[in-house]
Amino acid sequence: MKTKSRVLASVLALGLSVTTLAACSSNNNDNGSNNAGGASNAGNAAGAKDTITALLPPVSPTYQENFDQMAKDFNAKYPNLTLKIEPASWEDMTQKLDTQVNAGSPPDIAFIGSDGISKYVQQGMLMDIKDAATPDMISDFDTAPFEYMKNGAGIYGFPAYMEAHALGGNKEFLEKAGIDYKNVQKNGWTYDEFREAIKKGVVKEGNKTSRYGFVFATAGVASKDYLGVLVKGAGMPNAFTTDNKYAYTSKNYLEVLKDIRQLIDDGSMPKELSSVDAGKRWNMFLTGQTMITGKGLATFENSANKNNEKIDANDGSAVKGSIKTDYIVLPVPSFAGQPPVTTVAVDGYVTFRGKKEPSAEHKANVVKAAYFLASGKVAATTNNDLFVANITKSGKTAAEGMTTNRNPDNVAAVGVLLSHAAPARPDIPVELGAKAIKLEDEVIVPKLQALLAGEISPEDMYDAVKKAAIDTFGEDGVVKE
Amino acid sequence: MNPTKKSFFRRRLESDNSWGYAFIAVALVVFALFTAYPVASAFIISFQDYKPLGSTFIGFDNYAETFKDALFWKSIRNTIIYTILTVPVALLLSFAVAILILPLKKWMQTSFKAVYYLPAVASGVALSVVWLWIFDPMDTGIFNKLISLFGIGNQNWLGSSSTAMFSLVFMAWLSSHGTSIIIYLAALLGIDTSYYEAADLDGATFLQKLRYIVIPCLKPTTLFLLVTGVIGSFQVFQNAYLMTGGGPDNATTMVGLLIFNNAFKYFEFGKAAAQSLLLAGLIAVVALVQFKFFGKEVEY
Repeated sequence: MKTKSRVLASVLALGLSVTTLAACSSNNNDNGSNNAGGASNAGNAAGAKDTITALLPPVSPTYQENFDQMAKDFNAKYPNLTLKIEPASWEDMTQKLDTQVNAGSPPDIAFIGSDGISKYVQQGMLMDIKDAATPDMISDFDTAPFEYMKNGAGIYGFPAYMEAHALGGNKEFLEKAGIDYKNVQKNGWTYDEFREAIKKGVVKEGNKTSRYGFVFATAGVASKDYLGVLVKGAGMPNAFTTDNKYAYTSKNYLEVLKDIRQLIDDGSMPKELSSVDAGKRWNMFLTGQTMITGKGLATFENSANKNNEKIDANDGSAVKGSIKTDYIVLPVPSFAGQPPVTTVAVDGYVTFRGKKEPSAEHKANVVKAAYFLASGKVAATTNNDLFVANITKSGKTAAEGMTTNRNPDNVAAVGVLLSHAAPARPDIPVELGAKAIKLEDEVIVPKLQALLAGEISPEDMYDAVKKAAIDTFGEDGVVKE
Repeated sequence: MNPTKKSFFRRRLESDNSWGYAFIAVALVVFALFTAYPVASAFIISFQDYKPLGSTFIGFDNYAETFKDALFWKSIRNTIIYTILTVPVALLLSFAVAILILPLKKWMQTSFKAVYYLPAVASGVALSVVWLWIFDPMDTGIFNKLISLFGIGNQNWLGSSSTAMFSLVFMAWLSSHGTSIIIYLAALLGIDTSYYEAADLDGATFLQKLRYIVIPCLKPTTLFLLVTGVIGSFQVFQNAYLMTGGGPDNATTMVGLLIFNNAFKYFEFGKAAAQSLLLAGLIAVVALVQFKFFGKEVEY
């Protein structure tokens, strides 16, 4: 009896151990098949069955609802291919992808920002599709956004859209402040004009400010945006000059820092700006606590319209305390006499490889899937939902029958902004790019937070950035004037 | 079947030693897979420039870079300050709450234990959202509303270097006592009541009983909680990551956050592994010092 119970206990114990080990091994198997994409189909003949995996976040409000239809349509177009979509939230998209990348088994396709390309190129985990993307596919895309998917000589996917980082204004408040916003939309504004305009937007009740002229999200995920957006219009469209010298040691950079501080000291922006995150400032905009907000994306007009409808319908899910708001797209001001340059976000379907070299057939299949997602009906539906312009000929054609309730002035304003979009810089070596990102994270963003909180002066921040830049890139690697 | 071999197996089957090894094998396998292997792997990676498609051996470069990195030393300093400010106060609060709960009826003790343990079960992200609301820098924030009653203006709690660390410390003070309270309570219940009876006969006051009976009897528990508290505090990551992101001006960048950033933001796994091992070494030294100075009079 004693021996029997021991045997039973040991069987259970062994079972637990085996389960533990099995969990690990099945994980490895999964990795293998994900990677397959790349590896396990190496021997497939043309037309042979293949599965393409895609890790996709909720790109637009209805995007993930369409996954089944997208997979079906893709399979109908390519009967031998299966598009296996793994949904991810925006919050865990990066972590999920990075974990898979570092385990050597990423999905074949992931929807990410083009600014993430250099990071994965450095890891050696992106799949260059320049020999698999057909001329027909490439010519379908507008040149400017397509360039963002390149790094060095390689092409690492297809862009989904090119979105301008603008500002957003409340039409009623702009008019009350006497700002000719239509003229600003067409012709832009300088920092001095902008400064005076937002001063007029401030409303005070006694000592308390009930409405600010301008609030930009600077905390959390938006911490990099503010300065990054402003310096583009100060003669620094990229962190590196065309001869690959680090640009943020330029005197214009110091001018922008001084101006950032000045807007807070004027009282046009809240002194607590360093803690205002994206959600907070959007709430402030909808509740009438600011005249202008940033950064502004095209989809914000959609959000504002929807909130207006809820207010009209007396729907309790409208933002608490919100007022009806006509969202107006405004350009970011230019600084130091420099021409305006618009920051753009080009996001798209980036192609990954596993530890093993993918076969030519699989690569071609991945390209077909990435192109399917980035063009035609899928792109048109998504971009229409996002209020962003289509960047493929096929997408534009597919979107012809689709309607949106966009303000035509805003559509035209975005057109103007995109006409001077910051150009892509695939020529910047990945090592330089990685160093610049680290310098931004470890020096620029923390110092900017201190500058916004009034703890250091613009000069202090400029000196700290300059010192770090020289330490990182060397005396000859930075701009000197 | 060979009878000698059969009897050997039977002997093994009936031996207590074999069964003992079989049972601990489960824990051993789990430990080997999920603790020993990652640590050994981290040790190897710390000497490499890690890449998924093939790493290269770079000797002590990761360690050398870490020692030269001003941010690493700042993060160590921040972590030490955070530990000094949180651990002793958290212990004191847990001890005080346990003492207050002790005289209550059993069902009330259980209720309080559950209430205090609740934050440990709740999602850290959800808790952070609540704390972000409490620390809201505008006049809608709870703390700002509270201080406005005393005529003090809005404070940028998480956005200013002068208050960001304190805000994280305050959050730790109020949200991480469940385990300590339960352990203290168990230890308090384990003290022989005859000590209190003898003290009562001698006319000892509450404070005297606390000083001469409770505190000495709880020394092993306090030491345990102190050592584990310091270890946990040195590894703090979540609060800084979710509340401040390490800012402003790296005023709340802890070592744990720095390691996370190096590994998962910049993919510098070699450097992150080196920093992890240095942190482990530092924690070991601090634990040894604690045992050396506070463990002298502890009887187990």
